[in-house]
Amino acid sequence: MVNENEVLITSKENATFARLSLDKGYARTLVELAVISIIMIIAARFFRMYRITDFMVFIIFVLSFDLLYGYMGHLSFGHMLYFGSGTYASAIFMNRVSGNPILGILAGILFAALLAIFLGALVMKTHGAAFALINMGFNQIGFFMVVSGLSAITRGDDGMAVFPDPLGSIHLGNERILFYVVLGSLLAVFYFLKRLTQSSFGIMIRSIHENENRVKFLGYNTYRYKIITFVISGAIAGFAGTLTTINYGFISPGFINPFYNVNPIFAILIGGAGNLYGAIIGGLVFKFLSEYIAIYVSTWELVLGIALLIMTFRFRTGIVGSVKTLFGKLLKERMGGGTK
Amino acid sequence: MAALFKTQGMTKKFGQFTAVNKVDIVMEADRVNGVIGPNGSGKTTLFNLLTGFFPPTYGSIDFMGQNITNTSPQHRVSLGISRTFQLVSVFSTLSVWENMVLSTAKVHHQDQKVPWFYFKYAGDSQIRQQCMESLEKVGLSDKVNEKTAELSYGDKRLLEIGIALSMNPKALLLDEPFAGLSDIEIEFVLQLLHELKQHLPIVIIEHKISKIIELVEHLYVMKEGSMIMEGDPRKVIDDPVVLECYWGKGDVRC
Repeated sequence: MVNENEVLITSKENATFARLSLDKGYARTLVELAVISIIMIIAARFFRMYRITDFMVFIIFVLSFDLLYGYMGHLSFGHMLYFGSGTYASAIFMNRVSGNPILGILAGILFAALLAIFLGALVMKTHGAAFALINMGFNQIGFFMVVSGLSAITRGDDGMAVFPDPLGSIHLGNERILFYVVLGSLLAVFYFLKRLTQSSFGIMIRSIHENENRVKFLGYNTYRYKIITFVISGAIAGFAGTLTTINYGFISPGFINPFYNVNPIFAILIGGAGNLYGAIIGGLVFKFLSEYIAIYVSTWELVLGIALLIMTFRFRTGIVGSVKTLFGKLLKERMGGGTK
Repeated sequence: MAALFKTQGMTKKFGQFTAVNKVDIVMEADRVNGVIGPNGSGKTTLFNLLTGFFPPTYGSIDFMGQNITNTSPQHRVSLGISRTFQLVSVFSTLSVWENMVLSTAKVHHQDQKVPWFYFKYAGDSQIRQQCMESLEKVGLSDKVNEKTAELSYGDKRLLEIGIALSMNPKALLLDEPFAGLSDIEIEFVLQLLHELKQHLPIVIIEHKISKIIELVEHLYVMKEGSMIMEGDPRKVIDDPVVLECYWGKGDVRC
């Protein structure tokens, strides 16, 4: 009898192990990356290519925001600071130091990351409303530095044009090449975040979201991990900023204006927080609403506002979360029917 | 061998209110220590002081001969102090095994200073194997993949004890582990604790004496923030002072 029981338990264990190791599956990740590429390429056929490029840059920014807000539960009203410092650092670097776009991108990411280390050590002492507002404060300071404080370098309200050098025969000014470069960047960021959120570290930041004190009682210095997350998020936001610089070829203080911080928040609420697909779908839907409804309805913000109201009242978990629960329900019903 | 916990004049004040008042205790490591007392007598505050939730207003705390009066919870965990909470505290948005990962990884990677190992896939075999072992101890191994939010309250309690055990503790502090459990679940947890006490010092808070009288080998009684009595549990609960503080005046037995 005892032996039989033991066999039963181990086979059960093996089954659960097998199920979980599937989750890691590189095959599944590959399929996901392929699906994202196909959606973007098809979208680029039906709409202007440079617009889809712009959408993808925005999605990278939303992904960075999702790591901070969706996964770790820290809502920031000042994430445009890291996006903007990426745009400005890369533009200034390419205009003054070297026109190499790769070096320009690296400079932008590095600057955003350094700023996030420096400010993260401070803002991560707070949470909740204080965290949101202290970030907005820093963002506002950054905005005014760009507009007036450092206008000798940033050209203030006038903004500045950027002309990256071609890389051998590859010219980033070419719409098609840039599209694929940005698509590659999106896939890279998605893959990186996917691995990150499935790691022990990912479990840690989700745990911090739910109950930070409890994580401390597991023996972790949560402050350190919160800063690391903030820096990763800031660096990815900066990366999106550098791509914006190259995509537009012209930058202005609008790129660092804290006002536009509502965009990623809207996008995440529409798509579903704490979910990488939610960030992608939310980013796409938000951009389509804001770019294409604006053609037909002059007061498109009204439509967006109503959509957001519906989302927050009826579909709190966003598009992805709602679809998931719906499928879960259908599956359960079918299983229930099967056993009867 | 130094005492498990030794406090001297430990006091905690919240504003004007004194939650724990000049407590001097020497908890030995080779026995199960129980702390009882009516509601609001400062039992949980005592625990919070021992585990570093907040520092004491006055006094000192030693753990196995080491002064830990003002150290952080993280540091105390690294010394081996592991606790559960009065209201079950697990991560309900995570799955059962994900709940175990952090505590297990902490022990698993103790020697490594660099935090980068955390970026490895969490479901990798070694840590998962250890998670399974801890889950088996508390009888949850067949629920590894379930969402924690869907577990019964008793299972959540077991999960919390599993998390505490996976940290390789040198002392296990349980804050009302039987609160909210059904009789069958209480029986199971009691059995588990009887096994654990063979090789692990346990400190247990309980509101109702009857449940732990079989388990506990040394009993402390708190009242209004002060330690009013300690000693052999059977003698302590028959003491008139204790009876009075629990049931008021008169001869009533539990």
